[in-house]
Amino acid sequence: MSFTTLPFLVLVVLSVAIYYLLPHRVQWAALLGASMIFYWVGGGKTVLYVFYTAVTVYAAGRLLGHYNDLRRAAPKEEKKALSAKYKPYRQAVVLVTCLANFVLLYLLKYWNFTADLLQPLADVLSPGTTLPLSELILPLGISFFMFQSIGYVIDVYRDKYPPEKNFAKLLLFVSFFPQMVQGPISRFDQLAPQLLAPRKLDFTNLKYGIQLVMWGYFKKMVIADRAAVLVNTVLNDPWSHSGSIIAVGVLFYCIQLYGDFSGGIDITRGVAQLFGIDLAENFRRPLFSTSLTDFWRRWHITLGAWMRDYLFYPLSLSKPFGKLGKFTRKHIKGKLGKIIPTSLATFIIYFVIGIWHGANWRYVAFGFWNGTIITLSLLLAPQFLRWKQALHIKDQSKGWHLFQLVRTNLLVFLGRYITRAPRFLTAVWMMKETLLHPNLPDLYNGTLLTLGLGKGDFLLLFCGVAVMLTAEWFQETRGHIRPALEQRSPFVQWLAILVPLAVLFCFGVLRADYISSDFIYKQF
Amino acid sequence: MTSKQWLALFLATLLLLGACVLGFNYWVDPFGVFNHTSLEWSSYEMTRNPRTAKMTYLEDHHQEYDSYLLGCSSTSSFPVESLNKYLDARFYNMIMYGADMLDVESQAVYLLEHYEVKNLVVNVYLDNARDYNTLPDPARSYAMPPETTGENPAAFFADYLFMDPRLSFDKLKAMRADTILTQPFDVFNPETGAYDKTVRDAESVGNLDHYLENYPVFANYPPAHNTTIEAAVTGTLDSLTHIRDLCAQKGVNFLVLCAPVYADYMAYYDWDQVKEFYTRLAQVTPYWDFSYSSVSFEPRYFYDETHFRNCVGEMALARVFGDDSRYIPEDFGVYVTADTVQEHLETMMQASPLPAERYTAEVPVLMYHHIDQNGDDSTNITPELFEAQIAALAQAGYTAVFPDDLAAYVNTGKALPEKPVVITFDDGYLSNYTYAWPILEKYGMVATFFMVGSTTGNTDHYKDTSHPITPHFSFAQGAEMVASGTISLQSHTYDMHQWAPYESTDQPRENILPLAGESEEAYRAVLAEDCQKIRQAIEEGTGEERVHVLAYPSGRYNTLAQVSLLENGFDITFTTEVGTNTLIKGQPQSLLGLHRYNMNEAVSVDQMMSWVSPARG
Repeated sequence: MSFTTLPFLVLVVLSVAIYYLLPHRVQWAALLGASMIFYWVGGGKTVLYVFYTAVTVYAAGRLLGHYNDLRRAAPKEEKKALSAKYKPYRQAVVLVTCLANFVLLYLLKYWNFTADLLQPLADVLSPGTTLPLSELILPLGISFFMFQSIGYVIDVYRDKYPPEKNFAKLLLFVSFFPQMVQGPISRFDQLAPQLLAPRKLDFTNLKYGIQLVMWGYFKKMVIADRAAVLVNTVLNDPWSHSGSIIAVGVLFYCIQLYGDFSGGIDITRGVAQLFGIDLAENFRRPLFSTSLTDFWRRWHITLGAWMRDYLFYPLSLSKPFGKLGKFTRKHIKGKLGKIIPTSLATFIIYFVIGIWHGANWRYVAFGFWNGTIITLSLLLAPQFLRWKQALHIKDQSKGWHLFQLVRTNLLVFLGRYITRAPRFLTAVWMMKETLLHPNLPDLYNGTLLTLGLGKGDFLLLFCGVAVMLTAEWFQETRGHIRPALEQRSPFVQWLAILVPLAVLFCFGVLRADYISSDFIYKQF
Repeated sequence: MTSKQWLALFLATLLLLGACVLGFNYWVDPFGVFNHTSLEWSSYEMTRNPRTAKMTYLEDHHQEYDSYLLGCSSTSSFPVESLNKYLDARFYNMIMYGADMLDVESQAVYLLEHYEVKNLVVNVYLDNARDYNTLPDPARSYAMPPETTGENPAAFFADYLFMDPRLSFDKLKAMRADTILTQPFDVFNPETGAYDKTVRDAESVGNLDHYLENYPVFANYPPAHNTTIEAAVTGTLDSLTHIRDLCAQKGVNFLVLCAPVYADYMAYYDWDQVKEFYTRLAQVTPYWDFSYSSVSFEPRYFYDETHFRNCVGEMALARVFGDDSRYIPEDFGVYVTADTVQEHLETMMQASPLPAERYTAEVPVLMYHHIDQNGDDSTNITPELFEAQIAALAQAGYTAVFPDDLAAYVNTGKALPEKPVVITFDDGYLSNYTYAWPILEKYGMVATFFMVGSTTGNTDHYKDTSHPITPHFSFAQGAEMVASGTISLQSHTYDMHQWAPYESTDQPRENILPLAGESEEAYRAVLAEDCQKIRQAIEEGTGEERVHVLAYPSGRYNTLAQVSLLENGFDITFTTEVGTNTLIKGQPQSLLGLHRYNMNEAVSVDQMMSWVSPARG
């Protein structure tokens, strides 16, 4: 069920109404019901995968909780021994749960990719065999709810909080509908108490929720969906376009991706807020990042945080990595020796983040692109510092800040070549075209108007992006917009309702691809 | 503002915006589903969807009609005017593009149950054997109104209230772009219900090669294969049975016509399937079959690859109602019953094109102006050369004919002489009276003089100015000539061939075209008045029986002029374009925009003879 359909809005309105009408004790049931309806309508029988994940993590949580309780109940002097005794069991539980989920994820999302890779091998080993391909439909949001659920299991393993005993409540945590499509990946200790808390109708929550939803729809429907028209024309068939048009296509893809993803998250967070639930932030104005590392702290924050907490740290602190660190420090002199373990972990993280997006070489390449840049910047940091000092650049200077912004965004922009190209090698070709055969006149000789968007659309996109950037700049430099707005006169506040609604209707709901429908009988 | 107030304001604004959209869609109503008169534009609405808009139109106008003609788009070309004449009825053409027989049945049932119906005529097209109960389209162009389908009206009307308001906006844009002539957005004539074919019916149709150039679809007919579908055949025949029985029950005259099909389109179907369809049709009802005959092979009888022309519809109805006054190809139209169907289909299969000489004629037209001893002008000729030319024609066996003779050939099939020629004189100079008339009489030839009303009888001065003028003959002189039977006097307009330097107005009318900046309405009023004046002047002033032929001053004309002239009863027109003319029986448009050879002192007798000699070997 897409956010931009009428049924979704109806579901939201109805569930909000029911939520606040129900007795406090069972309010959460309305959320669970809405979530099940959402998933059933959107994914049909694939709702079973949600149950599967919920059952496995529920069982794992209960088991881990049981060991934790045993340990906690034991006398002080036995605690250490018990801890050591149960550790293998607890680790086994986590391992089995991870396997149970990730193997399924692998089969659904990545098997066909590997099967294609392995087919030549199979041809050699046993000619005539065709590796079977999965024809299963990838369940809606599976990567999101599985990662979120595994996070829960690991947290319980770490005894951060006791497990949830009520299966239905855990199921709600796994399947809370606003975040099913594109996250954020929430933490149990942050989300579950909010999902289950009794709540009185709070008009401010409703107001802020609606405002956030409108802002999200603006980014998604007015900006992203419009930019997508040009992106699809250019990048689905890059071979028919010159280098400069390809660059414009990738630029528009950046706009589309940000508008769509962050807009979707705004809708998600806005809807959650209607229920009084505060979801984790997933974007913090990534355009203002000063480095690629900073970018990943501002873009898809919850995925990065998940990787950090559940992959990077365990990996870096693991015994093999410790040994590796000792080894490299001993044998490789200078900075390089120190950073090799961190770099390796970084590479692994970005590799995982890459393939998390999908089973394709270009995502692998995307992971390496990020890993390489970040490692290089770590490695070359002293050198940069020396240059900076030589050039008398102050850290606080505006020019330096601007340079950092431009540099980071350029790196992100180049990375988008990789994720949006049909294939990795095409991405390389596209970059080459942009540099070697840009054919710059295409930017002003009217070619741009042949790519599916009219003059009005370009103007609208320009204004839309300008509004979006202004708002983010305001937030970045001055703080919240809404309190500032509330100081204004009622008329201005009303305009702040009317104008967005009218814009959403005229340029979002009424799609850009409308062609005045043809008359059937024209042979007059 | 508190949050509660904000929410209230938000909801109110949302409702307000929603109400604006709904109100706008309701007010503009591009599909004509809401029966209200603001912004009513039936022609546009019918073009959007004839199914809904015609039902809405009839809600207000059904008292004006007592009979209905139903079917898919080819139904349009059975003119209701002919049906009205033959059946003394008031027909409405319900034609719906893309209609299948289920649509027709729904419509028929509704009409029979709600309105007074004397006659119900249904057109069965070959495609009815392939299409039945086709799904409605998302563009709403094929949706049937709920009163005919039993669909929930609330859901139906909600769909039109909540539709993309840009559809409504398009109607407003079209309103601004509207002109008197048909455009793609207003192809229906709401009063008759048929397509408004005024433009296509005013175009000149003659030479086959030119026609194929203008309408290349006939020269390169798109290849395809169609097959009948059993469910469609059964459905079509069941629907027809239902309509037939309902008509019988209500005492309504029921008539089935099978529209002409272009031969190349007929070839899309396997003959056995066609035969089976028509055989089974005959079991349900007797019908008039026009589907496949010599007419099917003549592109000039068709607007496009699937639509026959109004003039063909007139021939068809003349056949049905035994009107002998019209030309109808012998093999066109057979009344078929269950008993005769097999025999008929065997004959029909053999249909073939008529030889060209059986229904077309090549006719040259000569255009003279002034006869003068001083034959040095591009339009002047000396009496001597003129006489030599006429003598040569007579000697070569040419018979001069009047435009009316051409019309008789086209409309009734009356034969032309073996070597016909039309002699015309423009402007109405006195020299036509003094020189031409006697010479023509001498050789037994006839001619048509196109006179300008406002300068008739000007012998010295141009109108009431002091400017000198080449003398023009008077009405009295005209009357003498008409009485002789040798000369027909026709229109060169009353006052739309002004001589600019002598006119006091800023914008003289040198020809029949609209003036710069003149509105269509004003222009049409001027032209209508001019037509009426010249007709009255000639008929009353000279005793000419019927003024309905016009030569375009300076040969200039446009589509609006062509259409307006036809509406004012001028159904034969001459241009100054050079060439011979192809007349086609049953195709009155072959009398429009006739070509002429410009005759002057520079044209030798031999030259003329080479022009008039039949191009056909």
